[in-house]
Amino acid sequence: MKPNLYQPINSEIVDIIDESPTIKSYVVVAEQPFKFETGQFVEMTLPGEGEAPFTPSSSPADTEKMEISIMKAGRVTDLLHTCKKGQKVGIRGPYGHGYPVESFIGKEVYIVSGGVGLAPIRSLFLTLVDRIKDFKSVVCRYGARTPEDFIYKKTLFGPWQKINGVDMKLTVDKANGQWNGNVGVVTTILAPNDVNIKNAVAVVCGPPIMMKFVTLKLLEFGFADKDIYLSMEKNMSCGFGKCGHCMIGKYYVCKDGPVFTYDQIKGYPKIWD
Amino acid sequence: METVFINELKPFLDAVAESGDLYVPKKSEQHFVFSRYDPSANTPVSAFAESTGVEFNNIRACTPVKEFLFPLRELAAVFPEPMEPEDVKPFAVFGLKECDLRSLDILDKVFTEEDFEDPFYIARREKMFIISSDCFDPGESCFCNVIEGKAYPDHGFDLNLTQVNNGFVVEIGSQKGREFVEKHSELFTKASGEALAERDRLRTKTLEQLEKNNAELKFDTPIRDMMDKTETSDVYDVEATTCIECQACTRICPTCHCFYLYDTRQKDYFAKMKMWDSCMRMAYAQVAGGANPRKVLGDRLRHRLMHKFVYFLDRYGLQMCIGCGRCVDAEAGDVDIRVVLKKLNEELGKTKVKAKSGGS
Repeated sequence: MKPNLYQPINSEIVDIIDESPTIKSYVVVAEQPFKFETGQFVEMTLPGEGEAPFTPSSSPADTEKMEISIMKAGRVTDLLHTCKKGQKVGIRGPYGHGYPVESFIGKEVYIVSGGVGLAPIRSLFLTLVDRIKDFKSVVCRYGARTPEDFIYKKTLFGPWQKINGVDMKLTVDKANGQWNGNVGVVTTILAPNDVNIKNAVAVVCGPPIMMKFVTLKLLEFGFADKDIYLSMEKNMSCGFGKCGHCMIGKYYVCKDGPVFTYDQIKGYPKIWD
Repeated sequence: METVFINELKPFLDAVAESGDLYVPKKSEQHFVFSRYDPSANTPVSAFAESTGVEFNNIRACTPVKEFLFPLRELAAVFPEPMEPEDVKPFAVFGLKECDLRSLDILDKVFTEEDFEDPFYIARREKMFIISSDCFDPGESCFCNVIEGKAYPDHGFDLNLTQVNNGFVVEIGSQKGREFVEKHSELFTKASGEALAERDRLRTKTLEQLEKNNAELKFDTPIRDMMDKTETSDVYDVEATTCIECQACTRICPTCHCFYLYDTRQKDYFAKMKMWDSCMRMAYAQVAGGANPRKVLGDRLRHRLMHKFVYFLDRYGLQMCIGCGRCVDAEAGDVDIRVVLKKLNEELGKTKVKAKSGGS
């Protein structure tokens, strides 16, 4: 019989990091060697309970373990938030196509993310800074609801800001007493001269409504449709273009995505819903 | 294709049943459904009332052939210890029609796709012996001739039977079929020119019947282009108003293959199950948090039909509809795929006229 593509790889949660009131990161070690490309996703099974798709937030260069940041958003993720270190899980994948990092060489990479959307972006960011000289610059704009809702706080507020070649700006929708930075949705910290649009690609990842307005803003700045990379979140279930749940028009987000350029999907109805 | 002849069905079916389970159509009210053939039964399955031949299924069965390869519910994975692969035994299905065989072409594209092969489908597919037969009595809802069908198969079977005056012309369609005929040579005689001529006559007659039944279903443009051009039409919203989301259309469709994966906990293992699903279901495309690109019924009908006639064709080179009409018969509302196609065609005609007059 052919290998069973529905079979999860037995894995274990070896560490859990509290990132924000609604987001935790899980360090997962698989029993078999497990490699992925940045932006690809995996299906994680909580045995007996259910399965959900996540894009790892760690660098693909780390082949020993993988980090997955999970926001409480539904039945499976609520249950995952009650898990303790040592919990056995299953991993299937990796699935789909990630970010075409090689095609970003020599360009400015303009990364805009929001909320838990920073999770896949962290994996891309770590991949880019590993070879930062290959890119003209890495310009990051990231928004969270409140200062507490930022994830990866230790690196976000410290080391990442100091990397040569990285330009990082943060914003919150709603400030508290501690916050000195910008207040407003992420589009309020985007400016037409953040990057040289003629030699830049934009990477957008976040809640659908944020992706929609950021995309509109980027178009207004003059970005070409094909230079805007979007991480689409749909109901990816099987992971290999058969079960049908994640279809946007002719595309299976799981197999043809999850990263799409705007020109690929803009013609289909309700892509942001 | 090489042909032979048999006078009687029972010895032939008994021979088939020697090598494994054989499923035959059995009349259930006005439809045929498949059931296991029992060679020892004194009265043969009612489908084969030899003397009259009236119950030989002259139309597709109600059951979609996918049930044999991709059952309603199946075990997809067991962990932490993986399960032993299921030992699939050879089995045979008798009485499939050309539309059924074309549904297999479609499912094969999905489940045997390189690098993404579904092991369960493939295991069963390899063990399936297919004995098809010509369709002589297309139903009111059958419109295969509109979707490149022709009521008798030219590929995809091991053996194909055509019922003629005093027996059955048997066409050999594969190596497996040839081996069967050679192994049971005592059952077969040469097909006479007369029998073959009668077969051709019957085939033409059925095609004419289909043409007549579906005379109104003519399109000015290939269906794919017509659908593509009318994608935003509100015909979908209007036609979906009678849909009560019973999902029967997708369950009974031999080409629909969406499924749902879910996890269960057993006494000493965990299991991942795979179950048929339906894109007409409200929460089908919904993600955690509630976002859903196809909340509206009309959008779901649009997606289902665009998938059938445009998306699948663009990806795999085949339309994902065989024109069998099962969805028309099965569904509890009043959505008729033929009516939707007809209305889209009318709408396209109108826009063309508009464009013409606007341009002149």
